[in-house]
Amino acid sequence: MGKVMSTADAIQQFVHDGEFLFIGGYVCRPPFAAIHEIIRQKKKDLTITRSNAADDFDMLIGAGCVKRFIATFISLGVYGLARCYRRSIEKGIPHKIELEEYTNLSLPLMLMAGAMGMPFVPVKDMVGTDLMNIKSFMGDGKYKMIESPFDGSPVMLAPALHPDVAIIHVQQADEEGNAQMWGIGGDCKWGANAARKVIVSCERIVSRETIGKDPSRTIVPAFKVVAVTEEPFGAHPGYTPGFYDMDLAYGYLYKEASNTVEGFQAFLDEWVFGVKDRTEYVNHYIQKFGYAQYKKLQAKFDYGYPVSYTY
Amino acid sequence: MSNHPNDYIKPELMACCGAREIRDGDIVVVGTGFPAMSANIARYTHAPKATLMQESGVFDARPARPALSVGDPCLNPGAAMIGGLTDVMGMFLQGGWVDVGFLAGSQIDKYGNINTTAIGDYEKPKSRLPGSGGANPIGALAKKVLIIALHNTRSLAEKVDFITTPGYLDGPGARERWGLPTDTGPQVIITNKAVLRFDATTKEAYLESFHPGASVDEVVKLTPWDLRVSDDVHETEPPRAEEIRVIREVIDPHRMITIYEKRGYV
Repeated sequence: MGKVMSTADAIQQFVHDGEFLFIGGYVCRPPFAAIHEIIRQKKKDLTITRSNAADDFDMLIGAGCVKRFIATFISLGVYGLARCYRRSIEKGIPHKIELEEYTNLSLPLMLMAGAMGMPFVPVKDMVGTDLMNIKSFMGDGKYKMIESPFDGSPVMLAPALHPDVAIIHVQQADEEGNAQMWGIGGDCKWGANAARKVIVSCERIVSRETIGKDPSRTIVPAFKVVAVTEEPFGAHPGYTPGFYDMDLAYGYLYKEASNTVEGFQAFLDEWVFGVKDRTEYVNHYIQKFGYAQYKKLQAKFDYGYPVSYTY
Repeated sequence: MSNHPNDYIKPELMACCGAREIRDGDIVVVGTGFPAMSANIARYTHAPKATLMQESGVFDARPARPALSVGDPCLNPGAAMIGGLTDVMGMFLQGGWVDVGFLAGSQIDKYGNINTTAIGDYEKPKSRLPGSGGANPIGALAKKVLIIALHNTRSLAEKVDFITTPGYLDGPGARERWGLPTDTGPQVIITNKAVLRFDATTKEAYLESFHPGASVDEVVKLTPWDLRVSDDVHETEPPRAEEIRVIREVIDPHRMITIYEKRGYV
């Protein structure tokens, strides 16, 4: 059977309760089509990770899908603190998630170590701060301090991470899963390659020949990929470089809605449970806000010079 | 036009204080808001060869408008290099190339330690904040760290509730004991009332200058530790005409900086 499938099928087949997920994105390219599907399928007890989490992680936490979060940071960007996350930590609504906290240097390096098959990685940050004093579900395995075997200086070692599944959204991929991304990367490449299997959500499926015209852009090779889902506008309200802008008005809508448990639930009822897939989501968006608003988010093309790989 | 126009707002003055800490040729890791504003003022005035990077993976962006986040779409087109977190935070910051880092925090203490994790007890926080993100590594590894803060007894503290990001930790010698690179650490705290600089020996922040309209007494009163006052304490130089022109005409024609007034930077 081929790898191209619907997001619903991909999540059903490859994401199971209790698993450890890396979810890519950094304001750009959050895989929202897949996030909504995870919520729709009521997955639970997930461990989730990425550096600089945002509204997508907040939604998963509010929807009760998350047990553990290997975190560095979470906010709603210009709209401030992540509401569902705060309710979970401060009030236990819907339940208190367990947190293991790192930084935007150490976590990406731990994912890199996972991708590289390294057992652990030395990191130069975190030392001396309270991030050392808090240990949660990783216990003493959160980090180890050693004396460098080379010069005796204190060194922190952080463990490699091996997510069960990575879910990323990229500009384009072929049917086998060779995935191409451009623009701000965050920890997407390392997170995807650290995982045992990768679900690639993309704006468009292209031919293997197209991939071969600019192979330096490929961040995940086909052999790691178990599913390819074509989801145009799939990162909305985040953005995808070359395709569409971030949607600040929708971000405000989410902030206002997630201020209360009831508002958050109504938001899910409308935008997640109220639609069956991303196509219905986009249709609902256009119906509600008008085609002009949808069109306004679409990127104008400004192509670079094509690259040549010939010799 | 006078050399120091007096129609500026406090966030403009603070951004200029940050800009004046940047030297020509510095490599600066910026977030959004003040940091990007300061670094750009420096670039358009005394430090044209300063270059900026964002932790998300961007080097030397040429945004058409002020970025709203370090992942903002406007940082992509025109940048000199785009990679990911391990490029900027790993190769460049941990690699030892970053001269200046800019940080803000909900709580800052006299040693320049910053809390962006939790107010109150960690396990049962009064308020759960976003976490470290890139702040801890920038505070640990940038050669000079500039801190932006509100000047009141809630935002400044004798000791923060939680050290997310290292300043001088518990005082002289602490950074060295933990193996942090030599000659790194916070340089100044720029508040809406004053500029506090860190003493080379005690590693405590002392009062270097108070902004026009503030006074030594007021600043001391608003600082919740026994604030030392520099022998040559003086009034902060207001924004110069050229700095104001750059802010209003080049960097921020839509006056996004005014949102800081609403956040209390007055």
